[in-house]
Amino acid sequence: MNLSFLGISKYVPSDVIAAWIFTLIAGLLILIYIIKKRKLPVIWDYLTTTNHRKVGLMYILFGFIFFARAGIDALLIRSQLAVPNNDFWVMQYEKYNEVFTTHGTIMIFFAAMPMLLGLMNVAVPLQIGARDLAYPFLNALGFWMFFSGAVFFNIAFFLDSAPAVGWTGYAPYSTSEFTPGPATDYYVFGVQISGIGTVMTALNLIVTIIRHRAPGMKLTRMPLFSWAALITSTLILVAFTVLGVALYLLMFDRQYGTAFFSGDQGDPVLWQHLFWIFGHPEVYILALPAFGIFSDIITTFSEKRIFGYPAMVVSLALIGFLGYMVWAHHMFTVGLGPIANTFFAVTTMAIAIPTGIKIFNWLFTMRGGRLSFTTPMLFALGFIPSFVMGGVTGVMLSVSAANFQFHDTHFVVAHFHYVIISSTILGIFAGIYYWYPKITGYMLNEKLGKLHFWLFLIGFHMTFLPMHITGMQGMPRRIFTFRIEDGVNATNMISTIGAFLMGIAIMVFLWNLVKTHTTGHKVNADPWNGRTLEWTVASPSPEETFNPMPVITESDAFWYAKKSGKPLKTTNELIASPIAKPSILPALMAFSLFIVATGITYTWNWLAIGGGVMFFTIIIIRTFVDERAEVYGKGENDE
Amino acid sequence: MITKKRLLVLMKRLWALPTILLLSGCNITILNPKSTTGEEQAFLIRLSLMIMSVVIVTVFILLIRFVYKYRKSNLSEGYVPKDVLGNKKLETTWTLIPVMLLAVLAVPTIAITYYQSPVSDSAAKKEGVHVEVVGEQFQWTFIHENEKEEKDELVIPEGEPIIFHLYSKDVIHSFWIPELSGKVDVMPHEELIYEVEDPEIGSYDGKCAEYCGIQHANMRFDVEVVSKEDYKKYLDE
Repeated sequence: MNLSFLGISKYVPSDVIAAWIFTLIAGLLILIYIIKKRKLPVIWDYLTTTNHRKVGLMYILFGFIFFARAGIDALLIRSQLAVPNNDFWVMQYEKYNEVFTTHGTIMIFFAAMPMLLGLMNVAVPLQIGARDLAYPFLNALGFWMFFSGAVFFNIAFFLDSAPAVGWTGYAPYSTSEFTPGPATDYYVFGVQISGIGTVMTALNLIVTIIRHRAPGMKLTRMPLFSWAALITSTLILVAFTVLGVALYLLMFDRQYGTAFFSGDQGDPVLWQHLFWIFGHPEVYILALPAFGIFSDIITTFSEKRIFGYPAMVVSLALIGFLGYMVWAHHMFTVGLGPIANTFFAVTTMAIAIPTGIKIFNWLFTMRGGRLSFTTPMLFALGFIPSFVMGGVTGVMLSVSAANFQFHDTHFVVAHFHYVIISSTILGIFAGIYYWYPKITGYMLNEKLGKLHFWLFLIGFHMTFLPMHITGMQGMPRRIFTFRIEDGVNATNMISTIGAFLMGIAIMVFLWNLVKTHTTGHKVNADPWNGRTLEWTVASPSPEETFNPMPVITESDAFWYAKKSGKPLKTTNELIASPIAKPSILPALMAFSLFIVATGITYTWNWLAIGGGVMFFTIIIIRTFVDERAEVYGKGENDE
Repeated sequence: MITKKRLLVLMKRLWALPTILLLSGCNITILNPKSTTGEEQAFLIRLSLMIMSVVIVTVFILLIRFVYKYRKSNLSEGYVPKDVLGNKKLETTWTLIPVMLLAVLAVPTIAITYYQSPVSDSAAKKEGVHVEVVGEQFQWTFIHENEKEEKDELVIPEGEPIIFHLYSKDVIHSFWIPELSGKVDVMPHEELIYEVEDPEIGSYDGKCAEYCGIQHANMRFDVEVVSKEDYKKYLDE
């Protein structure tokens, strides 16, 4: 559609116009609601908060909004691929390339990661008896960095310059020679800014878990979700640093004419190495927290402690460790040679062993238990077989010579959706249903929850099971069209129907949220008959927790205290605990980086410099102004 | 070291088992390839699928059994689950059995991968028909040994090792003929060498498998595998 404004006529694709209209109307409605209900103070409260539950809630909320956007991308992809030689809306050529790029990038960086970090933010301090994360200010900063990066990335589409280099951004296609213009810069800076935020949150979680456990909460007594958070955070620390370096080099290649990844001195394979040294551990960064969530949920609803706790912890660590030794299995076809191809095949197979240990330990946790099929438990039960199916195709892909056939086909697409959806997405939903009382004080509707689960699970398998065959029939990924004689018509059609079924499942979930908050009841501190410390504090968790501080004598201490009828022992001896006081600085700091990114993307150097000045000014202000100064030396409740 | 002939015999013997599998009943492209290289890859796919089916079936059986047996409504009112810390013997079992299963898979994987992997060493001169493959946005150029050039149509003889020399003029592409064998990336900074052994006569579809830009989906080419005489005629045309 051609739009003209102030005498300038510009072609604007209809999907961009539709998105503008939708966003403006939705934004206006939300604004009216906020003003009518006098919610502006609430907005300000969340804008300045450094409390772990509120930051966690924002992580989950915005993660979910981006999840919805990337989900719509997925439905657009599936609509275009529904039938051969299709011409759905504008989803061909560059539009299709943009939509699979934004789908992948948003799902990984701006949906799955923040929702997991949100759940960790909410649950980890409560599970280990910490009053907040170790550095509340840094926590808010980490969140706002993610928010800035994500918004920056998403804005690209509204300006009709969405990146189209794939979420992997392979060089040399992603260098300015082949993708000039701002589009790819949106990818580089969006992921970079939110990545730095993620590193901050990971650091924060590590320090919190090492330093702020309740008395007696030894590492060997810690709930498995907290263990998963600890190991995940160490993975993030290394992986996202490597990604940061890679994006930094790519930024130099694009902006300042260096040639790390192209030309005579550069090497496009270097980008792939760096990207996958980040990218493979990233898979475990997404999966391990989900493993932790499922471990806690399965024990709670089997009324039985985890089978083989030491093995569960060791296998988490082993998966994390081996996760760094397999990255080249994404690169079997780039000519690394026979030695590398066989070495990385074997290390990849080895990862199946600790993963298998976990699967069987979960199964044997249920054996002899008393299983109640609540919504979180259903998600956990759906996870086990689905994840095993994704795991075995992972082993099949590790067979390098077979990988020459599988690589870059829909078989790979099916594989990684199987592992990521079954672990991360089912895990996030399980975690949201499980901890919803702790976050909001309400319990989500169980009937709708179960409907959500079944629709989603069926839709998920319907989409991705046939996709294995699509790939084995010879359909490469990232193509927007196929021919009738390619023999992939039926499987593609089934995949499309399944995808829309998942979409309906998400609508059911939204309906559940609305229904819960309009007709739901508040619940008590321990609605699930839980085992771990988070169920000892009120629902929703107050800003002031663990006063007096419980003393832990065994793992699942709360459960055994309930069983023996005696309350948990407590102590009034205060340990130094983090103080969370509101501050607007984190949001401003992240916003200043947003300005820098905009400046560099459009080579408006004055803007970039302005943003940089703002950033360092805030750092200086923060150096001299401490929002917590007034409460130093006294307990928060002595104020 | 397993020789290739022996490996092929081994493969044919093992053929019977995995063919029972549901999947191989259908006419799936990469499971019914038309070259020796592709057959070896298909063998690995079938073997891995067979081994992995054991894992899937085990997990499904245990899951269904435990869920059925220990569901709340199936247990008596006063049933209290016993706390079990773990079981060394069981845990060792499900550590060692996967190790053995994977070892069974790893040996042929290493053997076949070792000589199938694309290499960048152009010094390794091999006997066979050499074809230069040049990828660029968005077309393929095939240059035969007598300098004969053709775009988007590849003609090769049957029954001989075909040695492809691949490089790209711009971004990374990937050269793939699913019906013949696996793919190999076409890199801008170095030439890769990939061998496809003994293709059978027929016409096949070739595709670009590495995302390379706006026309990636249409960067396809036709492959004709012809008899040796016809190939000679084709070269002289």
